[in-house]
Formats: sequence, structure tokens, C-alpha cells
Amino acid sequence: MKLNDPRLRVQVAVIAAIAATVISLVSAGSTREGVAYALVLDLVIACATTLSLPDLKTHHPVLFRATLTLLGVDVAISITRFLSSSTNFNLATGAAMSIVLLGLSFLTGASGQISLGNGAFMGVGAFAMAIWANHHATTPVVLTLLIAVACGALVGLLLGLPATRLRGPYLAGMTLAFAVAFTFILSSFSSWTGGDSGLQLPTEAVAPRWLDGFFHAGTSPLTTTTLYITDVAIVVAGVAFFFMANLFASRIGRSMRLIRDNDVAAELVGISLPRTRVTAFIVSSAYAALGGALLTLIDNSVSPATYSFALSVTILSLIVIGGIGTISGALIGGVIYAFSTNVISWITNQTGLNPQGNFASQLNGIIFGGLLILTMLFAPLGIAGAARHFWHRVRSRT
Amino acid sequence: MTITGTALLLCLGLVTAGTSIVGAGAATKKVPGVTATQITIGATEPETGIAASGYNQVAKAADAVFKYVNKHGGIYGRKIKYVIKDDCYGTPGFGCTGVPNTATQTHALLGIPVFATVGSLGTPTQDSVRALLKGDDVPQLFVASGSQDWNNPHQYPGLFGWQPSYNEESKIFAKYINATYPNASVCFLGQGDDFGTDGLAGLIAGGITPTAESLYSVGALVTTNGASIAPYIQQFQSDKCTIVVLDTIPGATDAAIGAALQLSYSPQWVISSVGSDPQTVDAPFVGKVPTDPEIGAISFSYLPTTTTNSPWIPWITKVIEADPADFPGFTSTSVLNGNIAYGAAYGVAFVEALRATGKNLTRASFLKTLQSVTFSQTPSLVPLRYTTSNHQGLNGGYVTTVISDAAMKPLTGTVYTTDSSTTGPVIVAKTKSSGIPAWLK
Amino acid sequence: MDPFLTSRIVTDILGGLTNGVIYGMVALSLVLIWRSTGVLNFAQGAMPMFATYVGFALLSYHFSYWWCVVACVIAGVLIGGLTERLLVRPLYGKPEINPIVVMVGYLIVLEAVAAAIWSSFPRSLPSPFSSIHWQLAGKPFALSPFIVYEIASGLLVMIAVAVLFRFTKLGLQLRASAVAPEVSRLLGVRVGRLLTLGWMLSTVVGVITTILVSSNFFSGLTPQINDGIFAFGFIAAAIGGLESPVGAIVAGVVLGIVNQFVTDYVNQNAVIIIALALLVVSLMIRPSGVFTKPSERRV
Repeated sequence: MKLNDPRLRVQVAVIAAIAATVISLVSAGSTREGVAYALVLDLVIACATTLSLPDLKTHHPVLFRATLTLLGVDVAISITRFLSSSTNFNLATGAAMSIVLLGLSFLTGASGQISLGNGAFMGVGAFAMAIWANHHATTPVVLTLLIAVACGALVGLLLGLPATRLRGPYLAGMTLAFAVAFTFILSSFSSWTGGDSGLQLPTEAVAPRWLDGFFHAGTSPLTTTTLYITDVAIVVAGVAFFFMANLFASRIGRSMRLIRDNDVAAELVGISLPRTRVTAFIVSSAYAALGGALLTLIDNSVSPATYSFALSVTILSLIVIGGIGTISGALIGGVIYAFSTNVISWITNQTGLNPQGNFASQLNGIIFGGLLILTMLFAPLGIAGAARHFWHRVRSRT
Repeated sequence: MTITGTALLLCLGLVTAGTSIVGAGAATKKVPGVTATQITIGATEPETGIAASGYNQVAKAADAVFKYVNKHGGIYGRKIKYVIKDDCYGTPGFGCTGVPNTATQTHALLGIPVFATVGSLGTPTQDSVRALLKGDDVPQLFVASGSQDWNNPHQYPGLFGWQPSYNEESKIFAKYINATYPNASVCFLGQGDDFGTDGLAGLIAGGITPTAESLYSVGALVTTNGASIAPYIQQFQSDKCTIVVLDTIPGATDAAIGAALQLSYSPQWVISSVGSDPQTVDAPFVGKVPTDPEIGAISFSYLPTTTTNSPWIPWITKVIEADPADFPGFTSTSVLNGNIAYGAAYGVAFVEALRATGKNLTRASFLKTLQSVTFSQTPSLVPLRYTTSNHQGLNGGYVTTVISDAAMKPLTGTVYTTDSSTTGPVIVAKTKSSGIPAWLK
Repeated sequence: MDPFLTSRIVTDILGGLTNGVIYGMVALSLVLIWRSTGVLNFAQGAMPMFATYVGFALLSYHFSYWWCVVACVIAGVLIGGLTERLLVRPLYGKPEINPIVVMVGYLIVLEAVAAAIWSSFPRSLPSPFSSIHWQLAGKPFALSPFIVYEIASGLLVMIAVAVLFRFTKLGLQLRASAVAPEVSRLLGVRVGRLLTLGWMLSTVVGVITTILVSSNFFSGLTPQINDGIFAFGFIAAAIGGLESPVGAIVAGVVLGIVNQFVTDYVNQNAVIIIALALLVVSLMIRPSGVFTKPSERRV
């Protein structure tokens, strides 16, 4: 049997999986933790084996993407056990933001439309989540998230319909007006939205009993809760990334790219412009709502001040720097969002600036805005685009 | 995928899975935030952003007190380290350069870890992290807000307010208005959150029936650069109110006074301590009107004004002057403002509570001390007293009047106390604070 | 006469006119830049803000208000010109999202640098006219000397610019440089110079707007002062049509008056919501704006 033979690989994988299960059970005892760790190892081996099958990417792209996502989520979840609770919290926030960035990346990159209102769509999902949870505390988390997504999609439809006829700056203007109006819409319904104070979720998010073994890390309740929340965020983000990857590659994604590049040709081919544009809008707002709902879960509260126009600007900036129209750009943007304050305070410390002084306190804005300008002038495809370009150049040399 | 690729992936997977078995989190310290030589506490404050002007001095003033105490050996040999995180009042934009998310900043504090949060500012911001702090057993002390949300000992035993509630302040205003301006027509303008609604409730509980009452939204205030307040003032003028009560932040106070000036309307202003600091309120009018339009306005203070001869005034001045990092340019002739006095006062309260707890410092022993000792040697006019059923904090002060663009003075000098209920009476304070403890001089 | 002049309706119209003039000027500056360079300028509020800070820094050297205004205008010309040359010029011909994003970044940087140099604390500016409203028969009237100055300056500037754009040779050259740069060059028009001029003009209009807004009685100059006005100015420009300077002015004034009525008869939260609704309805009926002719698409 050749080493490349898939059957041999599967046999090796099965043996490795059995060995891994035995090792973890022995080392951790036949406790819930042991079972959990065994599952992790088995999953990794299964993914690795599947990915090593030849021609998987070309013949079974969906399976390929699923396996890659599963492996990525698995690795990420394992790493979270090693990190402090505040780092985990930042990661969770970054994961939620990366979902939002995915939606905007799709809208601007794949279909060429500009939206300055995704902060408001985040707010729709965030408040939908909080309002529902306060009135129906027993609904499972996954279901509440889906309800929030549905709300976001609905609002996206409402705004997307007039958007179909609008050219670039007018669409930007309309979404801007929506973003600015959103906080006032929230104030108008203050009996539902809690006014300026916002809402809190009725209970702290706790891991369900059957997952107990995974999260019982022996440290404080805060660490356990944060761990659970972070892992939930990573899983949800993984699912979102998986769907988006498939969407990019699907017929809908191709139609959108054609519209972006040459809308007349697209119409000639029979693609319905308004329908595709609205679909893109709905997808982008649904993703934003999911990110917002997840953020509410992470913070255990929601406040109208968070979902202002400034947030929409931040979202646009992050995806531009990360890379419009790419999936990895959304990931990069999420990481930047999660850790930018740490980087800025590191810079402040290194340069010896007074952290309370005028200049240091504006450093965040100066760097962020400056990065945005420089990216657009010199690397309009963002970090992801520049990396891809660089990779191609390296590849073409060898 | 090649064999090499597979092998690499397998190794990566095994390593990460392995670390998940190994990594079990750092061992926790005995008392989080406390070592033999240091106590670490934290706070989330609006250092930049929409609420920064004025309020960004509050925590710095407390920090100045801690630095002073540290210079004199600390408390039982432990120096106090105060970590201030900028949460921009939870609102992005407006020059915010912190992280406009109180939960994120609070998590960062908990990761240090901190013994407690002391003096974190804001009602919605601190409401949003109550459950988080309770879940980690971290005391949430001296929240800088007059909301009654901090007085909930059964649900949040580690949560404590400090300043008198908005309700209590309004009841004392009502008593003064009824005594001095009987039968006057009173109009009320308050912020559209519990600052305004509690304030209005307190006025009504104190026996005032406003002719007109309005609540303003902070969002509209900011978007219109203050013009959104004018219609309310115009309404008060047509209703012929002679007294206007303002439960407003300084920006809205300015907008209200400015609108009244434009309409040639001069009611007697009664302004909450939250938004009446003369230095802050007068700043926009400098050079535009001959005299400070706030002069003559009535307000409330639970700390001694700079015009009185309380020994705390020179003490606080000395402490602030000794902290040029936080207060560059502050000299012995600079006049204290309300924000500085506030921060210094809760800073003193904290160090006294620390000292009263004793050398064996745990969260439990600290909270027990806080709820059993009466602190009558802090800058506040009335002693600071918590019980197991009352975590609100200070409960009284005196009515003041603005005399210049930098200072207020007490109107009658009588210090009143009350409670936040609708029926509790406003009475003359039975006990008052008594000077500076020897060890703090 | 007096009861009529102090009546609610007249008060609302006059009050709305004040804001409307401001929105009209912002809308006009947006249209100027759109017509002359095809860019949607998100830093339309921040650039004049910065120029105003620079100009009024002279106050500490005891220059009078009017000299500071001159300084602000000069600063505005410089900032507008430099921005076009350095930031906008490299982006011609690129996808239209690029300049939008660059301008957003520029907005963030300008506000941050202004706050770093001068702090976010509101900076009080002197006002040359009294803000105390006149009284008619004992009741306050909607106008004060300052408001008259505000409305008059605004209308003057807007009419001057609109006339320049539509009826002068310079205006024709500006329009031509945007629409057909190659042909214009062949005809001897210095296209590059005119594009820069378009930005300079627009920034100067913005500077006048900022000075008027920040000489407000009780607030002052802050780095964020134009943020709220920008949204309404934008809505006005979009409703009126980004191609039409006259449309921008009319839409701005009308929007200001409508807002005032909504504040008076409904409540403040409804103002931006109703403005958004107006925008959506207007764009659904006339996607390129009320005052522009619908353009054909070139295939």
C-alpha cells in the first residue's frame, strides 16, 4: 500500500483516535474533562485526515471548507483555555465583530455597494436579543440568536428595497441617515429599549449541564463564564464564516461580483439587479445583527450609546484595513478590534508619553485614521489583499 | 494535501489539544489585588469622549489622595495602586480614545486582578457591569452617580453608592423652595434617565407640583450642539415660571441658561450639584456676557464649599498640588472645583475604610467594616454611613448659591439630611463631620 | 402685526430658517466638491473645523474677531487646496469607495489632531452681534442681531457661490473640468488648478458655516462641532440632488424649517427619523435628487 492511499490514512487515523481517547481518559480519569479532551483530540485527527485526502478541495469544496472551519474552531477553542479571562473576553468581542465585518465585506467587495449603517444593524440584533431574552428568559440561546438574525434581515429588507435604485453616494447617504437616526429610534421606544440606560440580560450566560466538563477549569466562576462565552462566540463565528465562504463561491456570489464589475453585462446575462442587490443587503444586515446579538450575550447587557454612527465608521475602517471583499480580511479586522487598545497602550508606554495627556489620549484616533488613509492610498485591498499579492509574487519567483 | 502537510496538521492538533489538558489557568492569589506591599484597585471613567469635560478630573483627584497616602507609608505598609480605565462613558466618538465598552474595560481590571472597583462613574455604565462584578465577588464601591440602583444590598451585597441620591437632593431643594418661595410657579427640566425621573419624584415628594416638566435626551443635546433645550425654556417662559429646577449635566445647564438669556427670561435657577459647578458652567459664556449668568443660581453641596473655612479645603489643595502628573499647572492659589473635591472626598473615604479594616485585609472583612463603622472624619458635610440594608451613602448637605465664576457659598449654612423614600422627612442633620484625622494630616 | 410675528408658526419658520441656512451651506459645499471632483467628502465638516481652530488661535494674540475670520478663510483655502492635491488627486479613476474611505479616515485624523492640540473642551469664540432676541410687545421674537447676521451671511455666501458656479466663466470652467477634463485641457483650461479651486471654495463655505455655528451663545468650538450638522446637510444634498447647487440650498433651508416644526409639534427624537423618512421617500421617487435631471446610463 502506498503512503498516499486514502484507505491507509483512514486506518492510521482510526488507530490514532483510539490511542488518543485512551491516553486522555487515562490521564484525566474517566471524568467529564477526560471525555471532553478525548473528543477534542479525535476531532483534530478526523479533520487532519480528511484534509489530507487528495483532491478534496476541488471535488468536495463544501466538505473541505467544513473541515477547515471545524479544525480552526477546534484549535481556537483549545487555545482559549490557556489565556487569561480578559484576553478571552477581548477575543470574544473580536469574534463578534469579525462576523459583522464578514457581512460588510460581502456587501462592499462582492457586490460593490457601500453601507455606512452596519453599526445600526448590529444594534437591531443586539436589542432584539436583549428584548426577547427579557420577555422569554427560557428560550435557548441559539434560538434567540436566530430571532435576532431574522430581525436584522427584516430591517435589511426594509432598507434594501429603496436601496436598489440608488447609486454609490446616495446609498451611502441613506445608510448614514439610518445610522444617525437609529439611536433616536431607540429613544422613541424607550419603554422597550430601556432608554439611555439600555437593558441587561436576565441571567448571566452559563454553560448547559452536558457541557459542564468542558468548562470546569477549576478556577473562578468568572473565568468559567468567560471561557464559555468566548467558546460560544468562536463557534458562532465559525458557522458564520463557513456559510459566508460557501456564499462567496456560490452562484449568488458570482452574480454579485459580476454586477460589481459590470452591471449592464449582468443584466444582459439575465441577473436581476434589484433582487441581487437586496439579497446582498439582507445578508450584510443579517450578519451585522448576529454580531450585535452575540455582543449582547458577551457583555450581558446592551446600551444604545454603543450603536452610534461612530460604530459604523469603525466597522468600515476595520474591513478596509483588513481587506474588502475577502474573508480573511474580516478575521484580521476582528483581531485588530480585539487588541488595538493593548497595542496603543504599549506604544504609549514605549514612547514615554503621559497617558493622560492630550496627545496620548488622541493617539488611537490618529493611528486609526492615518492607517485608513494610508491603506486606501497605497494598499486599497487591505492587509489581506496585500498579503495575497505578496504571496503571488513569492510564488511566481519559485 | 501532502504527507508533510498532514503531519504538520496532526502535530499542531496534538499540541493544541495537549495544551488544553495542561493549561488550567493561573493559581489565584490569596486575596485578589492585595499583597503585603500593595493594594490594587480600579475604576472605569470617562477620561475622554462625550462626558469627559470636568468628569475626567474626578478619579484623578482620588488618585492624588492615594499618592499622598502612599508617600506617607501607605495603609499598614501597603501602597495603593489605582488603575483607571477609560470607558468613554460607554459611548464611542466625540474624541473617545479609550475603549467605549465598560464591560471590556471592567474585564481588563478583573484580569489584573483588582481588590475592588472604587469610584467608577456613570449610571448606565455601572448598571451594565453589576452582574459581572458580583459574579466574581469583586466589591463595586462608591459608584459616582446618584442613582438608587446602588442601594440594593440583597441582590448586590458588594455594591455601594457614595453621593446623595438625586431623590434626596430634590427633596432638600423642595423644602428650601417651599420655605423661601411659597406659591411660586416651578418648572422642571431633567435628563431623560433616572437622573431626571428620580429628581422629579423627589421634588414632588417634597411637596412641589411643577407647572411644567420636561425631560431632555442627551443624544439630541449633542447632535444639536445644545439647541434642543431652547424649546423647553421657551415653554417655561410662556408658562410664566418664576423658578426653574434643572437636573442637568453641565452641557445642558449651559444650554438652558443660554436659551433663557436669549429670550430675556430670568427665572430663579435651582441646579443639581451634578451640573452646577461654576467653573465648568461659566466657561462658554466668558467674553460673551458681562457677568457670569449662573451667579445667583441655587444649588446643593454635600462637600464644604471653597468659601468656608473647612480644614479640608487647604488639605485637598495641598494634596492636588503635590500631584503635578495628574494636575499640571495646579498651584496653591488655584481654586478647587466640584469635580476635584468629589474625587478627593471618596478617595479619603476609601483610605479611612481601609485603615479601619485593619492589617488583615480581605474583601469580606472590608465590607463588614464598611457596613458597621460610621466615618465622620471625611470631607463630606455629613458622616458617611452604610448599613447592611442601606448602601446609598451620604444622605445630606446644604443649599448653596453661586457667587462667582469659580465658587459657591452656603445659603443658610444649615445642613439637612433625608432619605430616598417619598415619605421620609427632610430634617436638620443631627451629626456633622468633624475634621481631619491625625494620621492623614 | 406683533401677535403674528411672535406667533408659533412665524417663530418656527424663523427658527427653522436659521438652521436651514446652515444645512444649506453644508449641502452646497458637498455639491461643490461632488460637481467639481466627483468625491463624496466625509471630512466636509472636519476640514473647516480645523481651519477655524487655526484662525481663532490668533485670538490669543489679541487680534479682533474680523481679522480672525480672515485668518480662518485663508486657513480654509490652504487646507482645501492641500487636501485636494495630496489626498484626492492620487485617487482619481479608482473605485468610488476609495475616496469615501480616505475622507472618513481624514475626518478621524483631523478630529483627533485638533483635540490633541487644542483639547476637546469647548472653546468659547466671541460673537460680533448680540444674541439677545428682540422683544415685541413684551414677547420674545424669534430673531436676534446675531441670528440676522447668521441668516444674512449664509444667504449671501450661498447666492454668491451659486451665481459663480452657474453664471460666470470660472464656474463654467469648474463644471467643464469635472465632466470633460480632456476636452477642457485641449481648450486651454488649467484643469488641475480648477479642481483644487473647487475644493478651496467648498472649504471656505464650510469655514463660514463653522464660524457661525461655533459663535453660538453658550456652546463653543469643539472638534466634533460639525458632526451633527453634517448628517442633515448630507440629507439635504441627497434630497436636492448632488448635481445641483440650487437644489442643495433650497433643500437645506426647507429641511431646517421642517425640522423646527417637527421639534415643536412632535418631539426631538422624531426630527432625524422624519428626515430619514423624507430622504427615503425622496430617493425612491427621484433617485438622483429632486432638482437633477435623471441621467441616462451609458452602455
